[in-house]
Amino acid sequence: MTEPAWVAGVVVIPLVGALIAVLAGRRAAPIAVVTAVGAAVAAAALVRQIARDGVVEHAVGGWAAPLGIALRADGLSALFVAAVAVVGTAAIVYALAHPGTPHRFHAAWLLGWAGLAALAVSADAFNLYVALELLTLAGATLVALASEAAALRAALRYILLALAGSLAYLFGVVLLYAAHATLELSALGAAVTPGPVTAVAIAAMVAGLALKSALFPLHGWLPPAYAGAPAASAVVLAGLLGKASFLVLVRLWFEVVPPSLRPDAGLLLGVLGAAGALWGAVLALRQTRLRRLLAYSSVGQLGYLFLVFPLGTGPALAGAVYLVLAHAAAKAALFMAAGSIERACGSDELGALRGLAPRMPLTFLTIGLAGLTLMGLPPSGGFVAKWLLLGASLETGQWWWAIVLVVGGFLAAAYVFRVLRLAFLPAAGAAAIARAPRGAELPALALALVSLGLGLAAAPPLALLGAGP
Amino acid sequence: MSAGLAIDAALALVLPVLAWAVVATPDLRKAIVLFMALGLVAALAWARLAAPDIALVEAAIGTGVTGALLMSCVPWAESLTPASRRARADLALAGALAVVACLGWAIRALPEAGPGLTPAVLGALEVSGVEHPVTAVLLNYRSYDTLLEIVVLVAAAIGIDAVLPDDDARRRLAPPARSLVGVLSHLLVPGAVLVAGFLVWKGAHAPGGAFQAGAVLAAGGILLLFARRLRPVPFAARALRGALLAGPLLFLGVAVAPLVRGGRLLELPVAWAGVLILAIETVLVVTIAIVLLMFFPARVLASSRAPAATVEDPP
Repeated sequence: MTEPAWVAGVVVIPLVGALIAVLAGRRAAPIAVVTAVGAAVAAAALVRQIARDGVVEHAVGGWAAPLGIALRADGLSALFVAAVAVVGTAAIVYALAHPGTPHRFHAAWLLGWAGLAALAVSADAFNLYVALELLTLAGATLVALASEAAALRAALRYILLALAGSLAYLFGVVLLYAAHATLELSALGAAVTPGPVTAVAIAAMVAGLALKSALFPLHGWLPPAYAGAPAASAVVLAGLLGKASFLVLVRLWFEVVPPSLRPDAGLLLGVLGAAGALWGAVLALRQTRLRRLLAYSSVGQLGYLFLVFPLGTGPALAGAVYLVLAHAAAKAALFMAAGSIERACGSDELGALRGLAPRMPLTFLTIGLAGLTLMGLPPSGGFVAKWLLLGASLETGQWWWAIVLVVGGFLAAAYVFRVLRLAFLPAAGAAAIARAPRGAELPALALALVSLGLGLAAAPPLALLGAGP
Repeated sequence: MSAGLAIDAALALVLPVLAWAVVATPDLRKAIVLFMALGLVAALAWARLAAPDIALVEAAIGTGVTGALLMSCVPWAESLTPASRRARADLALAGALAVVACLGWAIRALPEAGPGLTPAVLGALEVSGVEHPVTAVLLNYRSYDTLLEIVVLVAAAIGIDAVLPDDDARRRLAPPARSLVGVLSHLLVPGAVLVAGFLVWKGAHAPGGAFQAGAVLAAGGILLLFARRLRPVPFAARALRGALLAGPLLFLGVAVAPLVRGGRLLELPVAWAGVLILAIETVLVVTIAIVLLMFFPARVLASSRAPAATVEDPP
């Protein structure tokens, strides 16, 4: 018997689960749990298959490209699908335990899960657009679930800017298709030649994806969305959905963009990324609320990812992908912790953190461990990622990116220690706090340990990444 | 000069002028009427470009449903402090001109329009189960895209439900009933149902299909909502969610079935492809119509908790 088509399974399982969860309405939680287990098994099987056989392809409908849509899973796909499974399952566990999670969260998140998996295994430029659309709608819904005026405004801004970004991407896809009569990424990569069509198409696609990835100075939509969303929504938004467009950009860049266009455009993206890395960290330092601090920290961490474009493939690409994984686990853990703190104190004002550490030891252990990845300190996954990026910048003689990485790390240390210092100060008064449920604290700690484990056992994921293009 | 060229020239002149009028008109209601006129002219342009499928969608969704949606939001929009529409219009003009310049530069460099994928699409038509190439692309060669697009609609439905969660929020947004709408609904709704059925049946061998049919059906539903002849069902009702999800679930079932037998996702057996496509399209019409109807704040006008007095406002 042939092996099941896991590459399709990782998309189909969350899709079926999402539709049944919508049908189940208020009783969606058990369906979410079953779906998460099924999708995680499929993700593990896909990882194993790719580690063993290399790239997996699947012609949907039996139609080969260019007529049909090609699914292709390489090491990068496998790692992202695995990250979605780990963070996504933890988010569902957290949502079950966190009081006040909207019942629509499960359906909206499973739709997002399906969109992320579809995006990770697609080798078709238009199919990627459809996956991005699914993520836009699921993401805006995840924000809007808070149904407070500020969250609805943030959701509206999220959807408008995300649609503008998608439209710009689609604009480029249409031009490329008109010129080359194919949508399959590697076929497009073989066909494109430098010229006006390629320049306009690539510029539109890159600009659209940069807007959707919150690249500086297009990051304004991100903090209100992450800070206004319900706790469980913020976990998957910051952990996973925020990285989807970057992944598409990586595929586009290394599979389609002609090498002659890469240096100048790459330098521009690198400069904006560096500016975002520093500006995000500086603004994180100036926040007075924990969730806004974490959101600006995300702006900064997403900025580092864009250093891959001037630094090129090899160790830099491995570093950027590793940062996606480590940051997914760490930032999801931090947003879980922030949600628990907000629940316990009734607010996420930094002032309310005073004296909280002895009362919520697990939550602050989580913040400390996940903070290591933000700072890029050993032995965290963030350290491995930054080490690879540092190595690449010195190896290619672009030492200035190394300065950005080091300074950004110090700024991250400043905002992480600001939070921890407040929590360990003596309490100002005996303010009553609600106890955080263990079920909400443990998945956060587990993800923080994952971000740490990525630093301790870096070889297998990096080897898997080598199974890529 | 041939008649066709004269029509094309007129369309090319009218489209940008109408578009400018839409953004520059200070009166919101006038702007929406102009927007709908723009949509109809754009639909004509698509028809002239030999893209009747897109012309139908532009007319039904881009103009009809969107226009009605914009109109239903006017009372709310007028309650906001008026922003400077003029400054934004200039910004929009500058943006549009920049896009046109880039597009023009790129399109001049495009190679002569080759056959593209047309030979491949037509070559496989015989085993696709349908005779209309656009339907073959949407429901067979690239049905995976369509499946995901339908799931996007489901995501939109949850989003709408999350934003308008309670009856009070909906009642505030509900437009007053108008007597003319009642008369119109008598005349138009049976026609809308008939046209929707025709479009989905016709889709197998001519322009048409689930999206167009769903939009036309939704248009009939919108009339009934505005005439208060349809008592909208809240999303919490399982029957509504069942009707909404029947289409996506059937589609997904057809998609997964070949995987179980070791085949490819969405692989349609040649003998059954025609029947399966028609079945999927037919149930999708209901899904699409329900989601489009959900966009209308009036949809929960007559929710179970609303007393009759507030529902029957004097016209």
